[in-house]
Amino acid sequence: MNMELLFDREAHAKERLAFVRTYAAWVKRTPNAEWSRQQALLINSFFENARNMPLSPRDYLLAVAGRKKNSRQETSHTALESFDARSDPPH
Amino acid sequence: MDIRYSGNRILVGDKYLTLLDQFVLDFIRVLEPKTPYVIVSGYVAILFGRSRGTEDIDILISRLAKDTFGELHTALSEGGYEFLNAEDADGLYDMLLNRMGIRIAKKGQFIPNIELKFLKDDIDRTVLRDRVEVNLPGVRVYISPIDIQIAYKMYLGSQKDIEDALYLWEIFKDDLNHEDVKKWMKTFGVRGDEYGIVV
Repeated sequence: MNMELLFDREAHAKERLAFVRTYAAWVKRTPNAEWSRQQALLINSFFENARNMPLSPRDYLLAVAGRKKNSRQETSHTALESFDARSDPPH
Repeated sequence: MDIRYSGNRILVGDKYLTLLDQFVLDFIRVLEPKTPYVIVSGYVAILFGRSRGTEDIDILISRLAKDTFGELHTALSEGGYEFLNAEDADGLYDMLLNRMGIRIAKKGQFIPNIELKFLKDDIDRTVLRDRVEVNLPGVRVYISPIDIQIAYKMYLGSQKDIEDALYLWEIFKDDLNHEDVKKWMKTFGVRGDEYGIVV
């Protein structure tokens, strides 16, 4: 990967983490009824859209298996080395 | 956020229950009479406000006897659920025994779905033994201890998982025993310093 793309990815990851901190701080100072109402708008729309996914269960399971494989390859080697006695990650 | 955290219990009053929450609660109503359970992974962060969706909810249960799993299979099938894996009850049970997750959704849908697994190691057994009761308006769910979730998510290591870990840390850092978080991070071989998870 060229340096420019790598920098963009790292900058994006840092920006995402900064957003998570800011958002968590907002949730902590906001009444439950309000943060959960706003969260529900997002999650309920995701939920409704998912009903229109044009996939068969078999295609869906294949897609999930592919994503899990890619995710395992990206997991840091440092973390995996501590579990090299295991055949699977926990959970 | 108004939460009361005391040991193995978290009270979250006045939370608006999302369609995802309702899906989880409906499933648990069928599951809980058959076996104790614990919810792990992404839904734990979402339950406390993380602003993301998820397509699956991970639930761990103890290894069931084949007959008990058969009863659960029947109860779920009669309750409007279907199993996404192309297996009958015996095949699904074999998958669970082989440390694989089976996926269960409302009939005719596959997102969201439950990924159900048997406990497979000492960490899983600890997660179920020390599960945390979360009291929502009118209902309760059991989730993984927050300190274990933070370390586990760090261990998984994708951007989404690290964000989940950081979110739980930011929400609960004043309530958690930092020595316990440190212990679990050591167990999973991870460090949180570079993300601001400092114990």
